[in-house]
Amino acid sequence: MIVFMSNYLKTHSKILWVVILSVFFMLMLRITLKYIPFDSNIAFLNIKQTEVQSVSLYLTFFYIHVYSSIFTLFTGFTQFNETILKNNKRLHKAIGKLYFYTVIFLSAPSGLFIGIYANGGFYSKISFVLLAILWFWFTIQGLLKIKKNNYNQHKYFMMRSFALAFSAITLRLWKVIIVYLFEPAPMDVYQIIAWLGWIPNLLIVEYYIYKAKR
Amino acid sequence: MKNIIVLFSLFLFISCKKEEKRVENLQADKILDEKYQNLYGNWVGDFIVLEADSLVDESDYVYSNKLNLIIKKIDNNKAFGQSVVAGNSRPLSGIFSEKNGEYSFILYEPGKNNDDGKFTFKIINDTIKGIWIANDKKNKVLSRKFVLTKQAFKYNPNLMLPEDTEYVDWYSEKLDTLKEVIDDEEVTYFEETYRTASDVITKLNASTTLLKEEDIKNLKKLELEIIRNTIFARHGYSFKKKSFRQFFDPVDWYIPVTDDISRELTSIEQKNIVLLNRFQKYAEDNYDSFGR
Repeated sequence: MIVFMSNYLKTHSKILWVVILSVFFMLMLRITLKYIPFDSNIAFLNIKQTEVQSVSLYLTFFYIHVYSSIFTLFTGFTQFNETILKNNKRLHKAIGKLYFYTVIFLSAPSGLFIGIYANGGFYSKISFVLLAILWFWFTIQGLLKIKKNNYNQHKYFMMRSFALAFSAITLRLWKVIIVYLFEPAPMDVYQIIAWLGWIPNLLIVEYYIYKAKR
Repeated sequence: MKNIIVLFSLFLFISCKKEEKRVENLQADKILDEKYQNLYGNWVGDFIVLEADSLVDESDYVYSNKLNLIIKKIDNNKAFGQSVVAGNSRPLSGIFSEKNGEYSFILYEPGKNNDDGKFTFKIINDTIKGIWIANDKKNKVLSRKFVLTKQAFKYNPNLMLPEDTEYVDWYSEKLDTLKEVIDDEEVTYFEETYRTASDVITKLNASTTLLKEEDIKNLKKLELEIIRNTIFARHGYSFKKKSFRQFFDPVDWYIPVTDDISRELTSIEQKNIVLLNRFQKYAEDNYDSFGR
């Protein structure tokens, strides 16, 4: 049964990936659209008015993060698709550039900035800051590897990078699960998901890389 | 001319007489007033169901609410007051009589509301005992009884909910169906869960301190609600929602005196209410959903 299931998953993993990503991409898009039109006191900002009023650049970086990050998730549809990789290298390159510039100049720096003011106190702040730094680092490495024509390393670093981008989704998913199961106080949830959002993602990718290397 | 002067002084004299009479009357009122003044004020206690429509489910009404029966004026054999209970504030008027140190009252609510009725009670040894009978015989609750003692109301921003109580929202029951196999037989049973508030609600005072986002960020919706409603309770607000009354009715200092406190709130309280409402809305929309 398990063998059958894992075979099934192997053959259909591409479809499964597209379905999962589509569902969550739509949910993330819906969250992003809450912030259009621009409003200094909407959705998440409802509990961030202290920062909005006392940190002059907070709102700017927050909106850079919200508006840019959705594009990085979108690249998940094309960049790991082998058909595109083989037959349409120009598309892969173009979207890869979009991902690279968005992460390096917009999403990761803004993530670092708002991470410093994250909810949940010291422990979640460290997590979000670390997440932003690693995301930035992996993405740079991914680009440097392909400049040296090191395809495997390029793939591995971009997988790491995307695993961290994908934490936008897993973090919110964990939140739903933890609230459903334990109903903790809101900021206690925050501290947990701050770490649970990206560490398992990265571990899964590292395991894949470890397997692939052997 | 002489005649006119005489007429004028006569007129003055008569009007003075009238004035004197009125003063006398007022003094007489005052004496009467003073005689019963010790009865005036808030009489507070439980308002307990005596008889209800037997076809109505018990969860359709609240068995016991906190009643404040305010005696405002006694004038000869007439009495006036106000009943404040469960978010209803109704004027009362009716008959008063005194016999051997016992005071008897029959007071009527105006009768325009479906829930209006008649209070019949006596004051013996500083205690009110009596019953209320609904006008409408189709009412879910047909009669209630009450034992009340006199309690002065004064707004005090420092009052807090008592610490030694567990704050559980008994109206938030969530039923989970659990299935278990015992001796090859599947047994189904139910488990109820309720919303509970931590003791933060006995420590954060939203009437005396201007709250910051940081202070309330980690609070659940129920805690935000209770902290906000404690402001209202301090002002003697009578809660319409039974889910709010359950937390304040048992508290000794809480006296429902009014159904409108919008003008009573201090500027600290107004600001805190805005903040608490914002966080409550956020908790409602986001706490358990996919998002932040």
